[in-house]
Amino acid sequence: MSSLLEVNNIHTFIGQFHILEGVNVEVEKGSILALLGRNGAGKTTTLKTILGLTPPRKGSIIFNDKEIQGLPSYDIASMGIGYVPEHRAIFRDLSVGENLKIAERKKGDLAGKEDLIFELFPDLKRLIRLPGTSLSGGQQQMLAVARALVPDNKLLLIDEPSEGLAPVLIEQMMEAIRKLSAETTVLLVEQNFIVASKLAQKYVIVEEGQSVKQGLIEDLVDDKETIHRYLGAA
Amino acid sequence: MGGFRETILNNRARLIIFAVLFILFFTAIRGMDTEDWTITLLRGLSVGAITFLVAAGLSLIFGLMDVLNLAHGELFMLGAYVGWTVYVRPDTFMDVLTFSTIIGAGLVLLPLWRYLYSNWRPSQSMANIWPWIVLAATLVLLFFAIREYPLSIWDPEDFTQSPGAFSLAVSQGMLVLPEPPNYESIPPAVGLGALFLGGLLLGVALVGIEQRKLAALIETHFSWRAIVMSAGLLILGLIFFWFNDPITEYLLNMNTAARFFLAMAVAALSGLGLGALVEKSMIRPLYDRPIYQIMLTLGLGFIIIEVVQAIWGRPGFGLPKADIFSGTGEGCPATNFSELLENQCSTIVLFDGRVRTYNEIFIILIGVVVLVGIWLLLQKTRIGMTIRAGVQDSEMVEALGINVRRVFTFVFALGVGLAALGGILAAPSIGLSPEMGTRLLLLALIALAVGGLTSFPGAAAGAVLVGLLQQFIIKYGQIGINLPFLDEPFKPTPPLVPASTVLLMVILLLVLPHGLFGRRE
Amino acid sequence: MQSAIPNLENRQNRVLDLLKANSGLIAVFLILLAFPFIVALLNGQSFSAVLNNETGNAKFLQGLMIEVFILGVYAISYDLILGVTGLLSFGQAMFFAVGAYVTGIAFKKLGLGIWATIGLVVVAGVIQALLFAVVLPRVKGITFALVTLGFASVFFIVVKTNELKDYTGADVGLQGVIAPAFLDTNKERFVLYIISLCFALVVYLVYRRFVDSPTGRVCIAIRDNEDRALMLGYNTFTFKLVVLIIASITAALAGGLHAIHQPIVSPNIASLAFTVAALLIILIGGIGTLTGAYVGAIVFRLLQFYLDKWFGEGANFLLGLVYVLLVLFIPYGIVGTWRVHSFRVKQGRQYLARLLSGGAYQPVDAEVEE
Repeated sequence: MSSLLEVNNIHTFIGQFHILEGVNVEVEKGSILALLGRNGAGKTTTLKTILGLTPPRKGSIIFNDKEIQGLPSYDIASMGIGYVPEHRAIFRDLSVGENLKIAERKKGDLAGKEDLIFELFPDLKRLIRLPGTSLSGGQQQMLAVARALVPDNKLLLIDEPSEGLAPVLIEQMMEAIRKLSAETTVLLVEQNFIVASKLAQKYVIVEEGQSVKQGLIEDLVDDKETIHRYLGAA
Repeated sequence: MGGFRETILNNRARLIIFAVLFILFFTAIRGMDTEDWTITLLRGLSVGAITFLVAAGLSLIFGLMDVLNLAHGELFMLGAYVGWTVYVRPDTFMDVLTFSTIIGAGLVLLPLWRYLYSNWRPSQSMANIWPWIVLAATLVLLFFAIREYPLSIWDPEDFTQSPGAFSLAVSQGMLVLPEPPNYESIPPAVGLGALFLGGLLLGVALVGIEQRKLAALIETHFSWRAIVMSAGLLILGLIFFWFNDPITEYLLNMNTAARFFLAMAVAALSGLGLGALVEKSMIRPLYDRPIYQIMLTLGLGFIIIEVVQAIWGRPGFGLPKADIFSGTGEGCPATNFSELLENQCSTIVLFDGRVRTYNEIFIILIGVVVLVGIWLLLQKTRIGMTIRAGVQDSEMVEALGINVRRVFTFVFALGVGLAALGGILAAPSIGLSPEMGTRLLLLALIALAVGGLTSFPGAAAGAVLVGLLQQFIIKYGQIGINLPFLDEPFKPTPPLVPASTVLLMVILLLVLPHGLFGRRE
Repeated sequence: MQSAIPNLENRQNRVLDLLKANSGLIAVFLILLAFPFIVALLNGQSFSAVLNNETGNAKFLQGLMIEVFILGVYAISYDLILGVTGLLSFGQAMFFAVGAYVTGIAFKKLGLGIWATIGLVVVAGVIQALLFAVVLPRVKGITFALVTLGFASVFFIVVKTNELKDYTGADVGLQGVIAPAFLDTNKERFVLYIISLCFALVVYLVYRRFVDSPTGRVCIAIRDNEDRALMLGYNTFTFKLVVLIIASITAALAGGLHAIHQPIVSPNIASLAFTVAALLIILIGGIGTLTGAYVGAIVFRLLQFYLDKWFGEGANFLLGLVYVLLVLFIPYGIVGTWRVHSFRVKQGRQYLARLLSGGAYQPVDAEVEE
């Protein structure tokens, strides 16, 4: 399999702070890769750097055989990267339907994906006219994932999908992501190791702004020492 | 939904404020005759409509980009002066239009340079220097080319040729335009060629500046559209040049109402263009330094005032109303609307009071049209959706693959266009002066703070509120308020008018720090 | 910025260190003290010409320098609010104008003495700071700026109304403020010069001390991130109030001096344009640097003076242009840019030292964020 995304030794600064000090990630087409690590290790910044929201000062990012570092975010996103940020970022002043509609990159994107979206998240169908504010946390998370599905994205960057969700909803979310990965590639940031281990095939561990360890997730499950060292409790 | 009770509880401060405002309003009305309060109400709405046109743009711009555009008042003023020029001096307008079109014809070739530039790799230091040199040379060239252009214009220093004198002549229907000048020291072909070349070089310089860092990244392609557009504009400009006199003649003899609408359109469009220009050239480099944007717009405002004073002179002057709003002859004042349209009266009798058609009806009408128009734009179109989303989180909008910067430019241009429209709309009633913008900006800013900084309905509500308050205080300044503990009626003096609006703002902000419709961030 | 670090070993050293640490400041003070005499010398006048207030370049330039000192004090008070504490206020002109009008009215209408007048100005300063502070606990950022703009605009309109003509002189302003004889700007120019210079120096030292004090540090923390300062347990309202009061009193005193020096109080000093002048001055000098206020004041006044002289009516346009270009291209101002550069220079020197000695390279801390 060839790799869809290659992140080579990126260094990112926010203000004067050196946040990423060399992160390497390689995501293969059609797979799920989990980015693991403690709070503040630089996982979210890695996603933002890939998307150009916090452009890297050094290093290269290759997506679909093209260098994308330094391009404006909207160009990068338009190449086929969907982003589900931490804390969902649902637009409050837009209805649920508009929250989906705004993600269209060409007319008819939404119409073509409606079936898939409502199959994954049946709840959204009856909420479609409500304002974005009136949704519960779980519903907002689903909407955020659904929004990333509207255009034809080759890669989804999903940041902490299980954060703050009730166990039942986590199950539903995991199910949805598993179904998704049949068609797209997913780069997942996840604090909850159990969730990550059930979803992903491979992992990369980020520690203090550096990628320190990578491999198959099934090898990591039994490696209690590594889990304890980099992820705290397991 | 059991949220109703909660909604009431969460908004109780807001509801109390609304109740207090309504009580105040009715108390204010009860102290007056019907005739007085209807007129005061209409005047308040009229001031509110003008304020709204300025506040709407301010609120959209601030909401989306966090830029408080303190030059907005001056842009409002500029709209009035541009509109005045179209209405009173169509010949000057045609001249300016001609050379702007020809410069524009050169400028629209810009995409071609981008294409050529992508195949040229100068060294970094070269790339940093040459665009500025070209820019400086271009500006010098344009300066001389425009100065040589035979511009028919007024002269603020000479009383008989001053803008005020021309305004007076128009209102008396005796406007005589000066003899149109011709190219004197150089052949017209050279003069026009220099203008075209100036526009062209300006495009080259701008591309150079833009591509200092990004040259390798932007994909470009050869653009036939640019060439077609340039040729079209060039032909248009030449038509304007050759048929300058007949077109001027036509504008001069057209219906004054039509000419006024043309003035409004030109003012709004030039506001749109200027807004886009300001955003792209000055505001954009400062998005990551928020306070500096405010400072920049302050400086810009002062520059605009100086430019206006240099071109149109320091003293203020009036703008005559179109004939349709100024009839005083037979059948006037009108008693109903059909009579009004038939006799083109300046006033109409409503509720026993004489209401001025232009000030109290037309302005409010335009205000409502704009309010509805913008509301539809925000709610029903894709760009409106993007704006609403961007007000909350522009980074996320960008992450969805939408070029937010383009939306920024659009909104800034729209806001300035609205302000310019407000300027020309207000000009016939409040007159033109270099200070007109500063006064209105204060009113609009108070309206904004009262309504909630980033809320569009808030801007409308705040503007109306401020307008009403101001007009009622002014009215009570004439008739006096009977207070129980005073022997004589208390008459608010003129300084109390601005003081009252500021007081309203302060009290309201103490109760609702985010304004009437604002939301806690 | 160098600050005096007292050496506790013995008293003599301490004084010496203090002098050493402030050598630049002392040198500037001495040069300014000698300035009128030097100008007189260059113009072929004797030293006594300065003391006897003979007309000439020396007297004229003293007048200009007094204006610079006043502007500098006015600007430094704005720098404390905006640059150090990060409060965006558009009411600075009102602070200044209240001082000027109170002084003018106290001398002209009430016939008060100098100390009573100063007392009155200080009280007025405190009162207007409290007025601004009414909304301070609830309103932040731009909204606060709008409230201050509102207050200042009302004040501007009120002093210009005819109802108060007897006191403020309406549009024309307060004419002929008669200051005590020993402060007369025409007869005692040199005395006024020395007083203004000392006033500017004292204000600078007090402000420097304030910014270096723990209270000042909290103010800077408020500017950088108010929520964090709140979380650390500081009652940020109190700090902002203190800053407003200090700045208001300072600006009012500068306004009083302005009324004495001019001796006309024109309503223009209450307009938004005058607040913008303060902004322009600290932009030229460098926001948040304190020293920048004085550097900016010199540049601003000279710029204004010469642009006026050379271009007449076009001067304001050029001033506006300078302002816009400054914002776009030299955001840190003269002092700020110089500090950034001196940081680079320092870094370069250290790099060189490391190359030569082969020792460990220790980067210096950034003083100004790039």
